[in-house]
Amino acid sequence: MADGNGKHKTYATNFYKTDIDNVSFLGNPHIDNIATTLMAMGNELWTNRKRIHVLESVMRDKGVTADLIEQYEPTDEERARWAKEREVLVERLYSHFARVDEYEFSSEWKDK
Amino acid sequence: MSELFNRRSAMGFTGGAAGLAYSLMGSHSAVAANLGSADIEPRGTDGILERLPNLDLESYDEFSTSTRVWINTDLNRSAERRAVQILRENGLNPREEMPFEKAVSLLADDPVISFRNHAWQRLQMHMWTELRREFYNNYDAYMSEMEAADNKGPGVLEMSPGIEPEYTKHEIHMQPGGYTGDEFAGHLYHYGTNNFYNGQNYQDERHVSLANAVPVPADGKVMRILDAGSSCGQQVVALKKRFPDAEVWGVDIGAPMVRYSHMRAVDMGVDVNFRHALSEETGFPDGYFDIVTSYLLHHEITEEATYQTIRETERILRPGGVYFPVDVYTNPGRRRIDGTGMRHIRDWMTHRWNHERWWYEYQRADFFGEMERAGMNVIEGGPKTQVSSQVSMNGGIANVIGIKPA
Repeated sequence: MADGNGKHKTYATNFYKTDIDNVSFLGNPHIDNIATTLMAMGNELWTNRKRIHVLESVMRDKGVTADLIEQYEPTDEERARWAKEREVLVERLYSHFARVDEYEFSSEWKDK
Repeated sequence: MSELFNRRSAMGFTGGAAGLAYSLMGSHSAVAANLGSADIEPRGTDGILERLPNLDLESYDEFSTSTRVWINTDLNRSAERRAVQILRENGLNPREEMPFEKAVSLLADDPVISFRNHAWQRLQMHMWTELRREFYNNYDAYMSEMEAADNKGPGVLEMSPGIEPEYTKHEIHMQPGGYTGDEFAGHLYHYGTNNFYNGQNYQDERHVSLANAVPVPADGKVMRILDAGSSCGQQVVALKKRFPDAEVWGVDIGAPMVRYSHMRAVDMGVDVNFRHALSEETGFPDGYFDIVTSYLLHHEITEEATYQTIRETERILRPGGVYFPVDVYTNPGRRRIDGTGMRHIRDWMTHRWNHERWWYEYQRADFFGEMERAGMNVIEGGPKTQVSSQVSMNGGIANVIGIKPA
């Protein structure tokens, strides 16, 4: 996929992949995965907080109150779209737990 | 031996997302926008930086930057405190010389040090992954944007597919595909390394500062300048800003990097040129340049490539021309490498876990000696510079200068 769809002029070469997908730092790959997930959740948390801050600022300028937010009922289209987004979020957060060694070690690291 | 990876069969994202046209194209740029309808700027620009194309990605960048600052400060301090404790518990003085293998074997499995390395890697991978998701989900649009710029001016883009030596094809900093193996290497590098600078280079501030520190030849003549290993072109643009009448070039072996650099320069309306070439074999005539610079190039290439680059630089400088290579150890004081336990652990973390493949080769290279052997006069007390994320070094530290004898 990363080589594109054949419609465009490309310049990318082959390359030597790191061994990052095979590495465990914390004694057990699943502990690594949990820590990775926690880091990803931090990112997600901030991303959403930032969006809420932006929304609150925009709405305040437009005269929308917090009570209107609390009372809001999503449309069917919104429910479906938000459900799809949650699926993506779940994949982002929890796909690490499904990590398996996809690649052979590709670098000759002598020190570990 | 390392396995050469073929992107066609192995990389990243799959499925039908690629090929979607970007839905929010348009220019709200505060700078010149010369890419016409191909220009992707859905959220306009912030100064000279095209804003990331959606709010979530921008927030990811912000959070990654803040987290990286925390890793570089609090977490690093904790890891180093643990290293000192462990070495002392084993009867060793952390400030004294010791074998590399001993230091690493004692320190590598400590939970705090291990978590530091884990956090460093995973944070970086999060950023690369999210950026790639954006670019590959809108593959056609971003590729069309680059294609629209390829043959546009004011500057020129010169490509030489297939010239990349094997040593250039590693995933430095874990960047997917490295500098040569991903169509969006330039995009990834530009936006992915913004957080390397702890949020202090969104407007190319570091590159502008370095460009302003570049010494000029004694006769004051600056007609042509080269930035060797120009990555995504920030330094080249900054040099043009300082020397508006000069012919300014950047060379880099990453074809996608120079392609992105050219596109960015075209979009900004800056008259600079990019050539896909090795710093050790630029293809320019003898004595062509008045000034040759590089920034963070030498620790990403082999020791032999560093020597070749120095010799090539001497060849393409005119008599009296100036060489200003800025890197982690191009300042005389920091070049004196010690072998203490603390030093080993820092270098090991950088080399092994930031995937700085040629870190040790760069360290052991006789950099200043090769400059002298190439025929340059070496001035060790050059202008002060700051390197990468060394935010604590206010004012920077003196950098070496090479002068080709007149």
